[in-house]
Amino acid sequence: MEDHPIKIPEEVELGFWGQHRFMLLIVGTIAIAFVMVSVSVFIYYASGSAQLDLSRPGLKSVSDKVDRTNTVTDYNAFGPVTKDTVKTFTDMYDSQAKKAKAVDAFNGDPLNPDVLEFGDPATSTE
Amino acid sequence: MKLRTHLLAFALITASVLSLSIVKPAAAADLSDEQLGRIMSNCLSIKGSLNQLHATDALLRVNRGQIYESIGTKLMNNFNARLSNNSLDNKGLVAVAQSYQTAQTTFRDDYRSYEQQLSAALRIDCTKEPSVFHDSVESARIKRATVHSDVLRLHQYIDDYRTSVNDFMLNFDRVTGNN
Repeated sequence: MEDHPIKIPEEVELGFWGQHRFMLLIVGTIAIAFVMVSVSVFIYYASGSAQLDLSRPGLKSVSDKVDRTNTVTDYNAFGPVTKDTVKTFTDMYDSQAKKAKAVDAFNGDPLNPDVLEFGDPATSTE
Repeated sequence: MKLRTHLLAFALITASVLSLSIVKPAAAADLSDEQLGRIMSNCLSIKGSLNQLHATDALLRVNRGQIYESIGTKLMNNFNARLSNNSLDNKGLVAVAQSYQTAQTTFRDDYRSYEQQLSAALRIDCTKEPSVFHDSVESARIKRATVHSDVLRLHQYIDDYRTSVNDFMLNFDRVTGNN
């Protein structure tokens, strides 16, 4: 019996990118992740979501004070219009309107230099 | 002639550059040394007050925002849709509801601008840059006043919508003959 030597395929010589493909994969993954996180953070701040996020540092003290009791049921958009149905609506509306106007939000002048104790004593009214 | 034009242009550029350089320090010069000193010495307590205000205003924004949102989407829009589904004239109510939505968008944008300004002020080191800090707080103050006026406008539209509902009812009673 003749002994046939096993043929080993010739090694293909890889180019620069072929030799560094694993590194390329890692760098590419990090770059894509970085871009996506940057876009997400941008949207988070630009859309106004950040302003509603009370879990941010410095706001945790008030995060448990969010009013979860005010649950308004939707007024049914379908159905007949009668005196009674309008009365139901006005009752719901008046109740919500009262709550909305109960607080004169953002009134006062807490950022006044005099309030913050760095006003000009010459122009201070107090 | 050409030289004259060049000289004139040079004089104009110099004048505008000079005026700009004079205007800038003037804004900072509004603060007396005593005020600057007070900002620097009370920096910690001022920042404490601002942090507190930042937190309470954020809570106010969330709680108020929820109520304003629900009035618009759950009540006004649905009532308008119901009238429309019954082929009733709701033009007046739709107009007020649209103005209300616009005022809500303005409120959201103005609050965002105010919050970003206040956050920017909080990042400034008032022991090192008292005048920059002062300007930043002053800008936040103006923006907060704008947010307050937005709130008042929203309250006005809430009242206007209610008046429009009353007008609609009067008209409805007249048309259906229910008095």
